[in-house]
Amino acid sequence: MDFLGGPGAASVLSLADSRFPGGGHVHSGGLEEAAARGFVRDVDDLASFLSGRLRTAGELAAVFAAAAAHGALRRRGRAFWAELDAELDARTPSPAQRAASRAQGAGTARAGRVAWPSPVLDDLLAAAPRPHHPVVVGTLVGLAGGGPAHAALVTAYLAVSGPAGAAVRLLGLDPFAVNAVLARLAPATERVAAEAARHAGTAPADLPAPGSPALDLFAESHIRIHRQEVRLFAS
Amino acid sequence: MRARARLVVARDDAGRTVVRELRSMTPLTLVPRRPRVRARDGDDAATVHLVSSATAPLGGDELDLTVVVGPGAGLRLHGVAATLALPGHHPGGSGADVRIEVAEGGWLEYLPEPTVVTARADHTATLRVDLASDARFRSREVLVLGRSGERAGRLRSTVHLTRAGEPLLRQRVDVGEAWLDASAAHLAGRRVLATELLVWGPDPAEPASGDWWSLVPLARGGSMATALAADAVTAHHALATAVAAHPGLRETIPRHSNG
Repeated sequence: MDFLGGPGAASVLSLADSRFPGGGHVHSGGLEEAAARGFVRDVDDLASFLSGRLRTAGELAAVFAAAAAHGALRRRGRAFWAELDAELDARTPSPAQRAASRAQGAGTARAGRVAWPSPVLDDLLAAAPRPHHPVVVGTLVGLAGGGPAHAALVTAYLAVSGPAGAAVRLLGLDPFAVNAVLARLAPATERVAAEAARHAGTAPADLPAPGSPALDLFAESHIRIHRQEVRLFAS
Repeated sequence: MRARARLVVARDDAGRTVVRELRSMTPLTLVPRRPRVRARDGDDAATVHLVSSATAPLGGDELDLTVVVGPGAGLRLHGVAATLALPGHHPGGSGADVRIEVAEGGWLEYLPEPTVVTARADHTATLRVDLASDARFRSREVLVLGRSGERAGRLRSTVHLTRAGEPLLRQRVDVGEAWLDASAAHLAGRRVLATELLVWGPDPAEPASGDWWSLVPLARGGSMATALAADAVTAHHALATAVAAHPGLRETIPRHSNG
């Protein structure tokens, strides 16, 4: 695949950019709770956390982003988007994780409606007014002309880059060392994205469903503790 | 070796649940239990014990179990011995495929014993549950990563839970890759993962949680309790704490048979 030569490549950069105004900067992807419990104290801990996150939550996000891009390229209607929404709900047992996904999805949709207006996006938002984050990211990639592989790579990357940035802010880790962790994760990120893209045309009910039990427990704890004391991140 | 077992229960004219079909195949053995006292008011459910031989499933084995609960029938399907996912002599690993259907007004309590993922296991477990719109269902899965002092083999466990055709839960858990098991984003180094699914009356309005357990309402109905622990006893306590927070179960707990 001519990944960077084809249409949609610039949208990949835009959506993966931490300056994309979708509100992702207020989410740590469970890193804040993991750090609060002492599971992530240094760069090595962070590498372990991010590797696991990539293989669980990252794979799930990449799978649904790829399926959404596939659907957007084919101009799928409301019934498809409703089904995709229900299938990702079923793969997200934690209400805190669902809320975090939909909060970021709504923020991304607001920015995306201005940047890439389309009846397809309108159909997605009619079916799911606060769409899941990977679904709206994948849709926007598709609307910008990108394919499932692009969408999967953006979301797999975001699954680790967001928490990595949060680790710098929360733990004061060396930004160069954290950036090097992301660089070392690049081959695994590409593998997860490529595997996810293979499923892009799969019926939504049969899409992979990787779970992450500790992340789900951390997400619920984070919300519970957030109500009692100030936390820097929403999730 | 491929083993196919099948269990069909139905409600008879007197309102009792009776076993209509029961086919065991080594190493999957289904043993119906007769109620010791028939007089338990309102409890006309059937109880069947799921007995696996201590050496099942071996590598290369494929176990299929189909369970059908007819309209208005009630079934307790309980395990009676710890399941061991042991290594075998065949390449390609072992698999267990459980398919469950519960019809209108029926209920099923499926409580198999823990799965111990021993060192060279390579096992794939799939549970597919299709519920009618008003059926009730409860199931438990306890995964133990290796016997004491042993590192875990591979297990991929997937559950599909649907109600009236709509997905309530689809989830896959992979264990046995040491680096992934250790990651705080997966199992956080804890050896026991216990989960319970509850489609059983009202779900909790809000999630309940402690540091290592939660009871959460699923997005489209049903609830899931989860516990992660260093050992099975702690996991069972934490799971019991989570399940105790479920309002539907508090209303109507089916009485447990002690055999």
